[in-house]
Amino acid sequence: MCRVDQERRGQWLRGVLDLCVLALLARRESYGYELAQSLNAAGVGPIQGGTLYPVLLRLQRTGLVSAQWREGTTGPARKYYRITVAGGETLRQTTADWATFSGGVGAILREVSTR
Amino acid sequence: MNHGQSVNHEGWLAALAGELRRHGVDRDLAGHVVAEAATHLRDSGEAPLRVFGPPETYAAAVADSVGAAEPRVYRGAPGPVRLEARGITKRYRRHRVLTGVDLTVRAGEIAAVVGANGSGKSTFLRICAGLASPDRGQVRVHGTVGYCPQSGGTSDFLVPEEHFVLVGAGRGLHRDTARSAGRRQAAGLDWDPTGPTQARHLSGGTRQKLNLVLAGLGDPDVLLLDEPYQGFDRGTYLDFWHQLWDWRAAGKAIVVVTHLLNQLDRVDTVLDLSPVRQPVG
Amino acid sequence: MTKLLTIAEMALREMLRRRSVLVILLVLPLLFYLSRRGDHLGQSIRFVCLGLGWALSTAALFAGSAAREIEPRLRLSGYRAYHLHLGRLLALWVVGLLLSVPYFLLVRFDQHDVRYGAIALIMLLTVATAAPFGLVLSAVLPRELEGTLVLLIVFGLQMMLDPAGTAARLLPFWASREIGTYAVDHTDGGYLTRGLVHGVVFAVALTALVALASGIRLRQRSHLKFSPIR
Repeated sequence: MCRVDQERRGQWLRGVLDLCVLALLARRESYGYELAQSLNAAGVGPIQGGTLYPVLLRLQRTGLVSAQWREGTTGPARKYYRITVAGGETLRQTTADWATFSGGVGAILREVSTR
Repeated sequence: MNHGQSVNHEGWLAALAGELRRHGVDRDLAGHVVAEAATHLRDSGEAPLRVFGPPETYAAAVADSVGAAEPRVYRGAPGPVRLEARGITKRYRRHRVLTGVDLTVRAGEIAAVVGANGSGKSTFLRICAGLASPDRGQVRVHGTVGYCPQSGGTSDFLVPEEHFVLVGAGRGLHRDTARSAGRRQAAGLDWDPTGPTQARHLSGGTRQKLNLVLAGLGDPDVLLLDEPYQGFDRGTYLDFWHQLWDWRAAGKAIVVVTHLLNQLDRVDTVLDLSPVRQPVG
Repeated sequence: MTKLLTIAEMALREMLRRRSVLVILLVLPLLFYLSRRGDHLGQSIRFVCLGLGWALSTAALFAGSAAREIEPRLRLSGYRAYHLHLGRLLALWVVGLLLSVPYFLLVRFDQHDVRYGAIALIMLLTVATAAPFGLVLSAVLPRELEGTLVLLIVFGLQMMLDPAGTAARLLPFWASREIGTYAVDHTDGGYLTRGLVHGVVFAVALTALVALASGIRLRQRSHLKFSPIR
């Protein structure tokens, strides 16, 4: 795997992190650390807590996710996030936008690799 | 996870709690944020600085996401004149320290006095407080005065709460009123003044917190502060400025001697005592 | 009144926290007494009274020096100069009187054939003089060290100079020796009268000096004018 320039990667991440989080939460509810691990496993990571939690807070404030403290079966109480109806709507819409956008970018960049 | 690591976490988490409070984050939410961070650190087993960065940065990011209000800096119309210094001139030996300095401070204003070392800032303040006499010039004060020196001003063998009672009695405050007022102000500087530690055993920064609380005890109308932040860490220094803005909002007139200029955009007047010696409005 | 009493209370608290001063206060007079007990009858009485004076003057010196830092702030906080020096004097006099009681009782039961009333008077005058004496020294001298040396000289001279000579009358505690002669040697009332006058004059004069020094140091300066809030 090629090593991506950290600054550019940071810029990309700023644009799509909340979207990725919403998508993960659309599959099932989760808590912070678990989300970070899923993001890392998918190849987007490593996402540090300092980056992730402010995003979650913003999503909570704009009503796209809701949160609940729950006693864990193993370990301490955790704050579980789940996507709301409004969040689902936003996710659907923005995913469509992203497909268009990334498609356009991909088309431009494909010309490079075929040269 | 070994004990050493969890101890590190506690310090970082405590600092985070303090920073969140300073950024005006709601107390319940702040508690949740700290708890969540603690759980995350337990799960990941990594160091806080690596996962979250310094507490100030993370707290700022949280405050930003949550849309927390910075404690409001009230800037209404300034009130009546509280301190008027005219033509203050002072000479030490052969050396002119102050030449014809003027300063007017109104209720609800902060005036910063700046200048190089030896430019007479402390002397000017002491003259305004009536602790030294100028060679020429007049000072008129409307209301009561509170003064905080750069150091000293405390009684070595008394504990902080006894200081509160002592100064409070001068202002006509009953003992319990004085003690609770002192405790309240101390909390604003993140300090618990109860306890049997005599003033001589307090650290330099804590002693200055005591000094500052004593200056404001009894609600004087004019506050004269001579670089009172000696020994303050960064957090306490911010708390100190918040305290100044609170006092300003309450309608007090404040004169603060300072050589740190980065807070100057939040004061109303700057008096520059450097050799050029021009009062800058 | 509250202001005066608050100052006095805090001065007392300060003194009780200074262990070294407390030890001096309690033990010095006793040592003086014991050192002369075997001697000619009256000597131990004279020495215990001088010891009392020296100890209280030292306590006053330290109290005055310690107060110097906070007094300007107290003045700004609304105390008048007289609250500050009278309050401190009050605390010192109370301590002096309390200290005199066990020593008076010691003399009462250990020494016989002396005029106890006169002894009590000596102790009273000593306390009345020693407290303002120490405070004056703290006002006039920059540091406690210089004050301690002056006390050493004064009390040393007090012990060595012949009380009949004129030089001895210039010392503040001459009264204790003069009345002491009256009490121990059963002389005529002239000694008592002379001693009483001297003691009272010095006590009053020193108290006035304390007031003067305090008033000057904490004076309202002419360049600063206060007006009430509009």
